[in-house]
Amino acid sequence: MLSKLKSVEWGRYSIFIILAVVFIVASFLSPNFTSADNLFNVLRQVAVITILAYGAMTLIIGGMIDLSAGSVMALAGVVSVMTFKSTGNLLVALVVGIVIGVVCNLANAFFVATLKTPAFIVTLGMMLAARGAVLQLTNGQNILQLGDFVLFGQGTIGLLPIPTLFLIVVTVAIWYLMTQTRYGRSVYAVGGNEEASRAAGIAVLNVKYQAYIVNGALVGLAGVLFMSRVNAGLPNAGVGYELQAITAPIIGGTSFSGGIGTTAGTLAGALIVGVLGNIMNLTGVGSYVQQIVMGAIIAGAVAYDVWSKRGKAKTVILKADGGKRPSGGAASPEPATAKTSSAP
Amino acid sequence: MTMPMPTRRVVLFGAAAAAVSLAGCSVTVGNPSSAQSGGSRAPKDHYRVAYIARAQADSFAAWLANEMKTEAATNYKDIGLEVFDGQADDEVENKLIENAIANGYDAIIIQANNGEAQRPYIEESVKKGIITITTNPRVKNIDGSNSVDAKPYDQGGVVAKYALDKIPQGANVVVLMGPPGNFHSDQRRKAWDEIFFAKRTDVKIVAQNPANWNKDEALKLMEDWSLAHPKIDAIVSMNDNMAAGALEAVKGKAGFANILSFGVDGTPEATLLVQSGKMTATALQNAKELAQLNMKAVHDLLTGKEKNVNVDIGNPLITKDSADQYVKLYKDAGLIKS
Repeated sequence: MLSKLKSVEWGRYSIFIILAVVFIVASFLSPNFTSADNLFNVLRQVAVITILAYGAMTLIIGGMIDLSAGSVMALAGVVSVMTFKSTGNLLVALVVGIVIGVVCNLANAFFVATLKTPAFIVTLGMMLAARGAVLQLTNGQNILQLGDFVLFGQGTIGLLPIPTLFLIVVTVAIWYLMTQTRYGRSVYAVGGNEEASRAAGIAVLNVKYQAYIVNGALVGLAGVLFMSRVNAGLPNAGVGYELQAITAPIIGGTSFSGGIGTTAGTLAGALIVGVLGNIMNLTGVGSYVQQIVMGAIIAGAVAYDVWSKRGKAKTVILKADGGKRPSGGAASPEPATAKTSSAP
Repeated sequence: MTMPMPTRRVVLFGAAAAAVSLAGCSVTVGNPSSAQSGGSRAPKDHYRVAYIARAQADSFAAWLANEMKTEAATNYKDIGLEVFDGQADDEVENKLIENAIANGYDAIIIQANNGEAQRPYIEESVKKGIITITTNPRVKNIDGSNSVDAKPYDQGGVVAKYALDKIPQGANVVVLMGPPGNFHSDQRRKAWDEIFFAKRTDVKIVAQNPANWNKDEALKLMEDWSLAHPKIDAIVSMNDNMAAGALEAVKGKAGFANILSFGVDGTPEATLLVQSGKMTATALQNAKELAQLNMKAVHDLLTGKEKNVNVDIGNPLITKDSADQYVKLYKDAGLIKS
């Protein structure tokens, strides 16, 4: 019985074991890696991408996607910078950035949920439109001299960098939202089987709108943190960030077919990418080799994660339940629980 | 896709900046050996010119495109300039050149994303008898084409030469490069190799990588490098954006208060950093001057005043001693707010 449990736990936590292995190997490769400065450095560096990744995770679990995250992030960040420069109020600038992200994603939701247009195409359109808007707004030029706006991205509270603080707060909020609320369970249900969810009485349209609103708020926040971190309003910021944002949840076990994924897995995925980049820079690895290593390790980690869970599913199906229990991909504990309790 | 109308501030800046930097401009006009672009032309009242920009999302390319529109609208009433966005994509850029050829423009100005990828299309444009100019960068060795460019080697070189006396003995430096294979990045890097690193063998490069012209990528690299190498004396960057990003990473960090930093482009941000003493030096790549020379070249070629034009802009060095005049220029143009 214990061995069966162990095999289940091993599969469930494989992505965290991979993260631990990467962490341990990195600590041997560079003595600087485990210094407090560097660990805060890594947490500060992954904050923006991880916040974007939580938004991507929410959408992917719900069977949707957002390819506009990078462009909307740039638009939200630049508008936030402009707001701060005209009002001098940090809170107003932060709120405006988040609102811009939400508004863009409400437009995405309208096309995806109401008009039933494929999310891939809609958000591709938003990617172009948002980029055009921010370039038009700035005439393609960077905005300089941000003053106290840099507090969001460069400030610290004690030893803790403020972007890391935002990351912790967002992580807890997203974990709570996805696991402890009816909304979270509904997202898993809609992503797992939209028709069944509708038949079960879930307001699918509302769930999709809510998922895009959550994503928009996170994209807006990421935009504010990014511009603050680089101390400039950069209209060309975030190119390719949508793909990086999708990479973290996928590494962390989120299924592209929807209905499966965890906050902790996404955080682990983002940290694996962040730690790999960090250790290769610390050890002086060239950028070409970095890309090869990063690609190989990401593919290897995901393959191992899938393989280990497949083994777990077989164990459960063939031995524990006598083959009566459906496998369902078995990527994580959250969706399995959520799927069985997703009725409104 | 056209650019928004130019602002008065930009026009003012252009005139002033050109006055400052034209002194260093080298010009070769009327090379008889390749004087065949378009052959003889009947004069027209109005000429249609396509400007295919590398990428409007690139702040320098956007600045150049804005200046081209300004210059055409202000000084060349007989030219209608249309700006197209190559989106930093060879395929897009090649299609735009094909479209411009098919649409019968009198002249095409091309800011190549990748000279070799665009070469066959540029050659086709020349072959069709269309006035063809390559700019920022120049695409070399195409008979009948024309060019207006900066000399990226000289831009890197003027800064590297200045650094010879500034970087201390036995210094540790980090090097930030543009995208791999980029002509301007490679030429600037080559200048640093030949003018600085070949002579200053006491200087050690402790880390180098591309940050793809981006401030955020340079910031992240420098955050990591500054932990791995607690003693870094200088940042050698192939553009100002990356130099500014690297400086952001060590701002207020113990042991890096006196770090030197060298860039290229003379952006408003870098000019302010040089003025305040946070950055050591940069070389100006003046988009206004490029635009003025491009429009003059295309007009001269279209009206038959010149048969072939190959021109380079100057690359004035900006240091703390000279930064004030450039900051003033940017302020007058509204590109730096007071």
